[in-house]
Amino acid sequence: MDPITFQVIQSRLSGIVQEMQDSIFRTGYSTIIRESQDASCMLMDPSGDVIGEHVVLPLHIACLPQCVRNIQQTFGADIRLGDAFLTNHPYLGGVPHSMDMAVITPFFHNGRLVAFCGSIAHKSDLGGVVPGTGYGNAREIFQEGIQYPPVRLISQGEIMQDIEAILRANSRTPELVLGDIRGQVGVARLGERRLAELIERYGLEPALEAFAMQQRVTEDRIRATLRSWPDGAFEAESWVDTDGITLDKRVRYHIRIEKKGDGIVFDSTGCQDQTQGPVNIVPSLALGCYYFALIAMIDPKLPNNGGVARVVQAKFRKGSVLDPYFPAATNTYMAAATAITEASLQALSGFVSEKRMAGNGGVGGITISGTTPAGKPFVQYESVGSAYGAHAHGDGPSAVTVLLSNARISPVEVLESEFPTRLVRFELIEDSGGPGKYRGGLVQRREYEILTDDAQLTLRGGRHEVPAFGLAGGQPGRLGGCVLNPGMQSERRMPSRFSGLRLKSGDRVLLERAGGGGFGGPRERSFERVLDDVIDGYVSRDAAIAEYGVDERRLDEALERWEHRLREFANVQR
Amino acid sequence: MSLRVAVDTGGTFTDFVVLDEKTGALDVFKVPSTRGSEADGIIAGLEQYLKRQRRAAGDVGFFSHGTTVGTNAILEEKGAKTGLLVTEGFRGIYEVGEQSRPYGATTYDLFYQKPPPLVRPRYTAEIGERVLFDGSVLRELDEETVRAAARKFRAHEIKSVAVCLLFAFRNPAHERRIAEIFAEEAPNCNVSLSSEVIPQIREYFRLSTTLVNAYLNPLLTGYVAALDGRLKELGCRTDQRFIMRSNGGVATFETAARRSVQTILSGPAAGVVAAEKLAAQMPGYRNVVTFDMGGTSTDVALIENGSPARRSGGKVHDRYVLVPMLDIHTVAAGGGTLAYVDASGVLQVGPQSAGAIPGPVAYGRGGTQPTVTDANLVLGYLSAGNALAGGTLSLDKDAAERAIREKIAEPLGLSTIDAARGIVEIVNVKMQEAIKVVSSNRGYDLRDFYLLAFGGAGPLHAGPMAEELGMKGVLVPPFPGVTSALGLLLSDVRHDYVVSDLRALEAVDARKVNEVFEGMRKHAEGELLGEGFRHNQLVYEYDLDLRYVGQGYELTVRVERVPLHEGDLQKIRGDFDQQHLALTGHSAPDAGVEIVNYRVTGVAIVPKATLASPFSAKGTLDDAFVSYRDAYFGSAKPVQTRLYDRANLPEGAQIDGPAILLQADSTTVIPPGQRGRVIELGLLEIMRA
Repeated sequence: MDPITFQVIQSRLSGIVQEMQDSIFRTGYSTIIRESQDASCMLMDPSGDVIGEHVVLPLHIACLPQCVRNIQQTFGADIRLGDAFLTNHPYLGGVPHSMDMAVITPFFHNGRLVAFCGSIAHKSDLGGVVPGTGYGNAREIFQEGIQYPPVRLISQGEIMQDIEAILRANSRTPELVLGDIRGQVGVARLGERRLAELIERYGLEPALEAFAMQQRVTEDRIRATLRSWPDGAFEAESWVDTDGITLDKRVRYHIRIEKKGDGIVFDSTGCQDQTQGPVNIVPSLALGCYYFALIAMIDPKLPNNGGVARVVQAKFRKGSVLDPYFPAATNTYMAAATAITEASLQALSGFVSEKRMAGNGGVGGITISGTTPAGKPFVQYESVGSAYGAHAHGDGPSAVTVLLSNARISPVEVLESEFPTRLVRFELIEDSGGPGKYRGGLVQRREYEILTDDAQLTLRGGRHEVPAFGLAGGQPGRLGGCVLNPGMQSERRMPSRFSGLRLKSGDRVLLERAGGGGFGGPRERSFERVLDDVIDGYVSRDAAIAEYGVDERRLDEALERWEHRLREFANVQR
Repeated sequence: MSLRVAVDTGGTFTDFVVLDEKTGALDVFKVPSTRGSEADGIIAGLEQYLKRQRRAAGDVGFFSHGTTVGTNAILEEKGAKTGLLVTEGFRGIYEVGEQSRPYGATTYDLFYQKPPPLVRPRYTAEIGERVLFDGSVLRELDEETVRAAARKFRAHEIKSVAVCLLFAFRNPAHERRIAEIFAEEAPNCNVSLSSEVIPQIREYFRLSTTLVNAYLNPLLTGYVAALDGRLKELGCRTDQRFIMRSNGGVATFETAARRSVQTILSGPAAGVVAAEKLAAQMPGYRNVVTFDMGGTSTDVALIENGSPARRSGGKVHDRYVLVPMLDIHTVAAGGGTLAYVDASGVLQVGPQSAGAIPGPVAYGRGGTQPTVTDANLVLGYLSAGNALAGGTLSLDKDAAERAIREKIAEPLGLSTIDAARGIVEIVNVKMQEAIKVVSSNRGYDLRDFYLLAFGGAGPLHAGPMAEELGMKGVLVPPFPGVTSALGLLLSDVRHDYVVSDLRALEAVDARKVNEVFEGMRKHAEGELLGEGFRHNQLVYEYDLDLRYVGQGYELTVRVERVPLHEGDLQKIRGDFDQQHLALTGHSAPDAGVEIVNYRVTGVAIVPKATLASPFSAKGTLDDAFVSYRDAYFGSAKPVQTRLYDRANLPEGAQIDGPAILLQADSTTVIPPGQRGRVIELGLLEIMRA
């Protein structure tokens, strides 16, 4: 195929997915979709290999292909024009956790199955022990809401009323769930329509050839880069505070990456055994983590398609946190996925040292749920970002989503208009970035006041015990925390993973995420940059002196000079 | 007072279109832009013109201006030193922003950095106060915190301040009081209130919009004052002085400066207006997609049945601005866009650009990496000897050829011609994708649309693109290179108003809707009369933002007539379902719908130029023939291609492709298999032969 037509079709495929992505956000019902934008769309070939993507949430990249394979396996030849399938099953489907619903439709050209269009979108509630379904103390997936294996939602254009009835009957927020699923079917149909136009324009064979070729180009590119790396193996580990059940025990994720010639093997057999609590992840998700790490190391612009999957070989150990036996709980998978991604990045930076990066502040979601004073059930789920660690090229960015996660913050005004909570504070935390020549990113603090007597709190992850590590002399980032009723008699510090904490009107919840780690010795940071940070409230005066070793007098004089104008002016006024 | 002057300031050139109403004569010319003191270039150009034509400045009866001052200040972060006031405890709104990283490759970029804030945290002050979601006050305004902030800002020479308090769109009292206190404490500080700039929910986006306004206001105010002064100095005293805004309407100098955030798309908006007015006068051509291709970027917009598509906001140059604007989509693709072979061995074109300096290799100003212009030259579409618009630059074809051969053709194992063709095809695809964003992605069928090509490079690329996209054909306006300036002579004054009032559609009747609209209309009328317009100049447009109950984002649905009659609301509901289906692949005709916003646009009809063909050639096609040139189209062999002088083409003339039309401000390529035809108003229509 000539390189020009190829590039043209590849751009078209990415354009189609962007359009699907725009549409799914714009039509979302739950705040999770329309405010947090926790959903991603993809096009896949009949074997499930990705042929079109537009990165929103990289963590879904290997999950939808797995879902397609499981749908193929379940339904075989019984996949027809106009069908739509759904699944939220981590084991039988392939989604990260049961709150994520995949909706997938087959695309036919002249009776031939040519592609699948699909999306994964987080659902507001699918039943289970706690509202919002993500149960931080779950010991098996049966406590994580209702599990749909791959089932047919629409059969040749006809909605399966039975399935819809089951969906409706198994959610605390059925309108939101059904509305969002309708949106997912809509974007899949949109994808089908656009694929049909593409094939009409270029013909089926050239299109199929382009699907295959883009995967080959990506594969070749990765292999060429791998050949330029020295052969060898590096390993790294990363920790998660707790599995939510055994609170005093940290969970270890380990990776050994061996590169030989143009091949690479991610070996996770050194991970600890699966946990009772929900910090296990399924292999399809772990693969997504490896893809992310490899692309980030080689070239962020590399299309994440089936070509990546062909290069990455993985060794799993059945019964480990990365390949648990059914029905191990998986719902707080994000912390685990972030840990294994971070370990993979560290190990890979053994091959590409200029891409070394200090630890990040991790991920996590907070759910406040219950019933409003008017008696209406509500689920307020938010994904609150953290901060990146610093690296050899600069400070870590503050208050961002990290690695595989990429959800938006929910607007205060939308939350307060729709849910019985009130925000008391929303700000960056001084000194939360790990000191270093390059400072770790600062992280946010959000404090909520509860306005209903029937509410409960769920927290899914955070670094309350294991901080983001510093590198090359840089210091760790500040720990995160969750405090109930800070400064009051009933003050209580909470672990990073729990569910079902009962709250009543007037209670306050302080959520502090963890900061990013620093890079390089803090004393190497220039005086001017430290001064800037102090003036901007990023670094305290005390930390500037104690951590960065800034001369106290010099600092005070400089601060004085900055404040001086103000004082001089105030004197004149008087 | 018969001269109507339009000035469109671009990065490289300042374009003029001057119409003498008395004689109908249209003058088109360019002068170099004077970056940083744009008024100098404008005044110089105007002076030259008046001298050349032996006219007095007092003859200017209308002056309209498209400016990039706001856009450039945002791009280059050269706005005013600005302060920010937020509700106590909520500094995070701006510092966290969206929190998410941009989608696409950036997500994988471990070295990602957020765009630098327009206001550093040191100039953010927290104000004691709190308003709740229903507009009630939880905590009264602590005026001392305001005064302290004002004093601090004054001491630090803050020129402008943005105020964005939580729920100020529901209850603006605290923001208004802050403006009063600033007027006392820091009278020289420009104040932008979120409740005035954009009274809508979602604090970060409102804050960002307000902040951009504050950041640009002093600059625009200074610029407008300078320009105003210079015009008066010159003896140009007309009160008909306007600036184009992002919504495609013009505003008086003063209004434009006060709402500077609305001037961000001033330049590209004028081009869309020109297209709108052309379409309006040509019954067979009311559906067009505008395609304005310049040196570094391309702007596209959709016009359906004579009306351009609009949107209520979006990200412009990394900053969110939620103000009504024409739905103009910009893609980094232009004549100066660079081509290269990436690490995967794939040919890439853009988004980087060679800019004006060094520019394409052929300019001979030090550029070494081939650009789209170089490819067009190698393919024979551009003339090496032909002076470029407004300049005397000649192009070095050998250098362009060499660069494409060495940097693209050899690494890919292609011939130089195939490599050049590849560059053009890939940049075309990028621009086609941009066209799809505003058309097919929004549910429109491109088969119903013409591609209206302008800007310096648009008519070079449009032919094959329109065919690829399955569009009806291409339209090329008489002076493609200065079409935006022409649009300035054709615009009305537009003010947009929005009122948020969330309510189920079933719960309102026609009377209630009429009441809200009438209140807004009166307000619009008051402002427009205050600006000196007369009753008989005013007309109004009405829209409703609707969504299904439970959704968070709305679709804007046109209200055809106000006052509404009983039954009209059902029709509007039906329109909404239909738009939703077309846009998203699904609709829910049984679900509840709610009204989110009422929108009214007040339009003051300004006396405008009438469009007529500027060409008056009476001869035959052969009279316009210039010479032959070798040009490459589908095959490896060059085709002897006829060159014509556009201005000498008689109306009705038919030109079979391949052919190339020359004019001072642009070049048009009619590819093989297509046929050009000179139609009314001097437009060129290109269709499949």
